[in-house]
Amino acid sequence: MSARTADRMPPPVLGPGPARSLRPAIRLIRLYAVSRRLPAALALLAACAAGLRGALYKHWDDYGALQLPLTFEAACAAIIAVTAGSPFGDPERATGRRLPLLRLGAAAALTALAAGLLAAAGAGMPLAGGFPALLRNLAGLTGLGLLGAVLLGGPLAWTGPLAYLFAGVYALYTDWHPPALSTPWLWPGRPPHDVGGALCAAAVFAAGLIAFTVRGGRAAADS
Amino acid sequence: MRRAGTSFLSSGRLLRIELRRNAMLWLLPVAVVLFWYNGYRNIMALPPMWNLRAMALQNRLLLDLIIPVTGAAAWMGSREGRRDITDLLAATARPRWSRQLATWAATTAWAEAGCLGCIAVIYAMTARQAPWGGPLWWPAAVSAAGVPALTAIGFAAGAWFPGRFVTPLVTVVAFFGLAFGTQAASGDHSCWQISPLTAGAVGIGAAPGVATFYRYLPDLSIAQVMFTAGVTAAVLGALGLSAAGNGRRLRWLAAVITVTGLGAAGTSVALAGTGRLDPHGMIVIPALHDAASGQPVGYAPRCSRTVIPVCVHPAYSAFLPVVTAAMGAELTELAGLPGAPARISQVPVVYQLGPDRSVNVGASDQGVSSFALPDMLPGLFGTTSADFAGQLAQNLGVQLVSDVILGGSGGAAKPSPAQLAVIGGSVRFPASVEDRDLAPLFGRLLPSPGSPASLAARRFAELTPAAKHDWLAHHLAALRVGRISLAQLP
Repeated sequence: MSARTADRMPPPVLGPGPARSLRPAIRLIRLYAVSRRLPAALALLAACAAGLRGALYKHWDDYGALQLPLTFEAACAAIIAVTAGSPFGDPERATGRRLPLLRLGAAAALTALAAGLLAAAGAGMPLAGGFPALLRNLAGLTGLGLLGAVLLGGPLAWTGPLAYLFAGVYALYTDWHPPALSTPWLWPGRPPHDVGGALCAAAVFAAGLIAFTVRGGRAAADS
Repeated sequence: MRRAGTSFLSSGRLLRIELRRNAMLWLLPVAVVLFWYNGYRNIMALPPMWNLRAMALQNRLLLDLIIPVTGAAAWMGSREGRRDITDLLAATARPRWSRQLATWAATTAWAEAGCLGCIAVIYAMTARQAPWGGPLWWPAAVSAAGVPALTAIGFAAGAWFPGRFVTPLVTVVAFFGLAFGTQAASGDHSCWQISPLTAGAVGIGAAPGVATFYRYLPDLSIAQVMFTAGVTAAVLGALGLSAAGNGRRLRWLAAVITVTGLGAAGTSVALAGTGRLDPHGMIVIPALHDAASGQPVGYAPRCSRTVIPVCVHPAYSAFLPVVTAAMGAELTELAGLPGAPARISQVPVVYQLGPDRSVNVGASDQGVSSFALPDMLPGLFGTTSADFAGQLAQNLGVQLVSDVILGGSGGAAKPSPAQLAVIGGSVRFPASVEDRDLAPLFGRLLPSPGSPASLAARRFAELTPAAKHDWLAHHLAALRVGRISLAQLP
């Protein structure tokens, strides 16, 4: 039997049409999710949202009120970034044709879920900056995390969001203690509806998402 | 003896290997950059006073190190679990706790090297710039003592939960706990001031008036060092208790270390809760207090060469030109008049806790020949020289001129309109001082805006200091007893 005749042969009958095409896809998604510890990540994202909700019940001074949400946003971004690491490395890259789609879907879905969970946690509470600032900060931090995953590998991808958390906290601090850091690349220090800050955060998120979709997490050398 | 020596050598070899293969070494540049970004630039922007910079260093340095140090420690702590080699290494001659301590020690050594390097840079720069005084070692000691606690917490979390999420999570939790924990402290009796980031009394912190005229009180710092050492010991001891493969003796030792650490940490928290604010802006903890440390520090004042010399503490000598520039006209106007001081000397400020736990700052002894410099010095939290001159005019200027014009009877009798006009025309307020800032003085020591006395004050203000001096030399006695009317003012 030549390759041409094999191409013309009907596929083996596994069951009804739609279910037949969905089942492998679902199985692939499930395996991808399990290999990246997505269930644990979901639980931790929910825990972060619960932590934010609990923290918002406390009275914070001006610094605390502004810096608090950023801390939880950075934690969520770090969690998303850490899921980028693959336990299989090159064999998976060589065989998985649909990996880019899975990476894109998982990263985007986790980011959207984290934004939703944090927004729900802040609903009805004095969340500094509101949803626009939350979305901007989370997207930008996640973009940094995904870029970190591409450059450093999944296990070390948390360094980007957490180092940036520190920079963001300081940018917010300088709003009281001039000279204020006004560059839009330090978007947490900008007002919630600031276009420059939002564009920078969106650019970083897009860059991170594209790079991660195309390249995936780097197989990091462990120390 | 030989066995002990061999063991020591092999421990040294293990430590050397861990030092060479340690994540903290790679994160040191991150720590340095974070410190430069958040700590160094801010600290070096402060006026060159040892108390300000050392206390600001304590507040900043450990905060800057939290993320890289805790992250690196958690990464190193989770190494065996991450690589699934725990069982493999259990077959080696060394107990697990011993191996873990070597890794923790190497991580701590690199982190401590970074911390001490940052302290050395700040202190070396300050030593070159500060006009008076010497290094305050207690704030540096608290920062240095906090590093092993951070590495212990991170390392233990990594060892206990060696998953991929533990490193970022424990880092965020440590950052949140330390950075936001200081917000829970209020007043002088708060247990939360045990946080190693709390430098000095809550609500005062690094202020120029603290530890300048009086020595730096180490009471709170001692409690903080005790706390961080206790936390370090407790966490490392707990690590030994939980590590499988440790012998019975090692477990006993770990238990003793854990209990001792917990005891030290708990005691220090309780001690911090007994603190009280002393008049010099520092926290006194009775059980740790040495009465001899509350003595004033001797100094030779630095004086200006103005007609009335203004003398300040040498730590403030950099601000003497600003003071004389702000007060020069008033000094020229008043020099030699009856009741005018021959010299004005700076006195310490006094800090008191108000009923709502706010801190009130006042002069310890303010009279015609003494004054307290405002705490908000130029360069401190964005204060400009104009802001500083405005504060001086409101405090020293009004006090000095009113004392001379009213003959020391300020407050005893209501000043006449002419007296108010002369005071108002003599004190030069910078443009930054607004009427609402002066509102409490209107009618008491300054003419109310829009009143006839205010118009007369404007007329008087247009005279040169020498002309004002001449007029006052001839009319001060009559002005004091109220025999000068507004119409008689020049």
